[in-house]
Amino acid sequence: MNPTVAALYFDGQSSASRPVVLQFDEPFLELHLLFAGENTMVWPLSELRFENYGQVLEIRSQLHSGALVKTEDPGFSQAFIKAMKQNKHVDVHSRLLGLGFSKLMVLALVLIALVGLAYFYALPPLAERAATLLPESFDEEIGNIVMESIIDEEEIDVEKTKVLQSFASRLRLNNTKALTFTVVHSEQVNAFALPNGQIVVYSGILDGMNSPEELIALLGHEATHVNKRHSIQMLCRNLSGYMVVSLLLSDVNGIMAVLADNAQQLHSLSYSRRFEKEADEEGLSILMNNHANPYGMVQLFEQLEKENKFSVPTILSTHPLTTERKENMQKIISGSSYEIKPDTNLSSIFELLKD
Amino acid sequence: METATNQNTSTSQNYRLEFLGKGSEYFAIMIVNWLLTLITFGIYYPWARAKRLQYMYGHTALNSERFHFSGTGNEMFKGFIKLIVFYILMMGGYMLLLTYLKSPLLAILYLYLALFAIIPFAVHGSFRYRMSRTSYRGIRFGYRGNRNELVKNFFKWLFFTIITFGIYGAWLQMNLRRYTHQHIRYGDVEFSNEGEGSEYFLLNLKGYIFTLFTLGIYLFWWQKDIFEYYINKMKMSKGETGIECHSSATGGGFFLLLAGNLLITVFTLGFGKAWADVRTQKFICNSIQMQGNINIDEIHQTEEEYTNAFGEDAMDFFEIDLA
Repeated sequence: MNPTVAALYFDGQSSASRPVVLQFDEPFLELHLLFAGENTMVWPLSELRFENYGQVLEIRSQLHSGALVKTEDPGFSQAFIKAMKQNKHVDVHSRLLGLGFSKLMVLALVLIALVGLAYFYALPPLAERAATLLPESFDEEIGNIVMESIIDEEEIDVEKTKVLQSFASRLRLNNTKALTFTVVHSEQVNAFALPNGQIVVYSGILDGMNSPEELIALLGHEATHVNKRHSIQMLCRNLSGYMVVSLLLSDVNGIMAVLADNAQQLHSLSYSRRFEKEADEEGLSILMNNHANPYGMVQLFEQLEKENKFSVPTILSTHPLTTERKENMQKIISGSSYEIKPDTNLSSIFELLKD
Repeated sequence: METATNQNTSTSQNYRLEFLGKGSEYFAIMIVNWLLTLITFGIYYPWARAKRLQYMYGHTALNSERFHFSGTGNEMFKGFIKLIVFYILMMGGYMLLLTYLKSPLLAILYLYLALFAIIPFAVHGSFRYRMSRTSYRGIRFGYRGNRNELVKNFFKWLFFTIITFGIYGAWLQMNLRRYTHQHIRYGDVEFSNEGEGSEYFLLNLKGYIFTLFTLGIYLFWWQKDIFEYYINKMKMSKGETGIECHSSATGGGFFLLLAGNLLITVFTLGFGKAWADVRTQKFICNSIQMQGNINIDEIHQTEEEYTNAFGEDAMDFFEIDLA
């Protein structure tokens, strides 16, 4: 004989409750509701849903809309919930919840750690790989958009832009796509490259330069960012990070916002240290290929460091660890052989850029 | 005292609303939600939402008997898909106007129109859904508002709001509240709300001015006034009997609630949100006092089975659950 427990029954038609005796027929997977006067209702387990609130167990049948039975017998609750679990009438969520608070916390921490690892170690290389799949036209378009906003905001020095163009045209910058050069009239010590081959140099950085080699070093560095598609790779990286975060928070609009935001911020985008190192080293070999003095690169860093003492130049805030990079340059230069052929034309053009 | 089984329906009785949830329990629910949402790349979201609502409803009790939310993740997932379809259609139209007609003004106008147009549909849909899925003592709630009527009215109110530069907004809110509340049923109990735009407007005007002059301190008392207005204007009736509500919340109470929630959330980097939500729910439940002579033991089911209602009303695109 199956044990019986007292319960309250709501029939779904009236809010009044009436007593009922519950009998759990485990072998047949049925719940029997025994009412006074020999009336019996049979609820098959497969149709049942239940809520467990501490001592209270509420059981509802999908076959009887609204109807529920409520009991507070711990032994009965235990047997009933166990049977529901065994017969797969309990969803994943409730099962996980059943693990208990401490196990859940451990599980959550492990998952956070995994997500963190993936976010910092697996995602960036994947995203950079994805960048190579993007067509060149994407670089063009995104670069054009940013350039348009710069033209609107900044004062372009038309004369010096022409001079810089002719300076650069005498150099071999290892570029695969056409590079365009623009001088912006501004006190800021800054320069940046856009993915469409636009290289923007601020007059503030030009004014601080003492030799054409420094300018070649700067252009070589920025040209490398374009040649290696660094900004598109960084964009993909940033975007993929946000995409994962947005996905976790189920925020679709966020992704669009980030795309728009990043496109606008492209010129102040900070590259990863690896990209900067690559641009430094390639820039240095561009200097050597042009038979210019490779110490131009070192001088460039020294200028940036000097500026740093008075105010933080914008270019430094996005180019970390100048000293370390300078030392790296000096090490490479002392280990390589090079030939210096001063170009008087370059020197005279360079003088025109300064005033 | 709260004798739910009071046979004499004419005597006045108190009804005790309370929230029995615990921060730690709710936190566990949220953690599991988060785990499952994470490993399903966000698809679990509607199911997670259902779990959260089920917890909140299941731990709200009137006279020691709990409410029940029977909505499921599957249903909410369908609503979620509908919303995405609408979003795509809307953005598609926007893009079309922008690229082919090259008229940004028209495109933005269209976007605003589309966003405002969905409000009454969404309000109607979510009221219907929420109410049909909520039950207490085995009796379902229901929403019987007429969608077309609501849409027509909403646009009328919206028009007035625009031509009065937003002043009519107070009337819009109260009218909307009155309309929706008076169409809520709990079995044979009818709900109503007597909020008036003029009163609500003055209340907010006073709140705004005082907040300005007290450098924001009055904000909590303004909050309290709004809450009080919402609650005090709500009524339930069944034949000759009825229930009146009034708020016992104080400005100080609101200050403690909101400042406490802010501290809890900030100092736990957001993980304490579960506790903050539970505090809010407890505060709300404890602040609503109800008095009247409806016998909650004698309420009869009057709502049709919602699944049937859905069949005849399948055109209702926005029968979804919104926040």
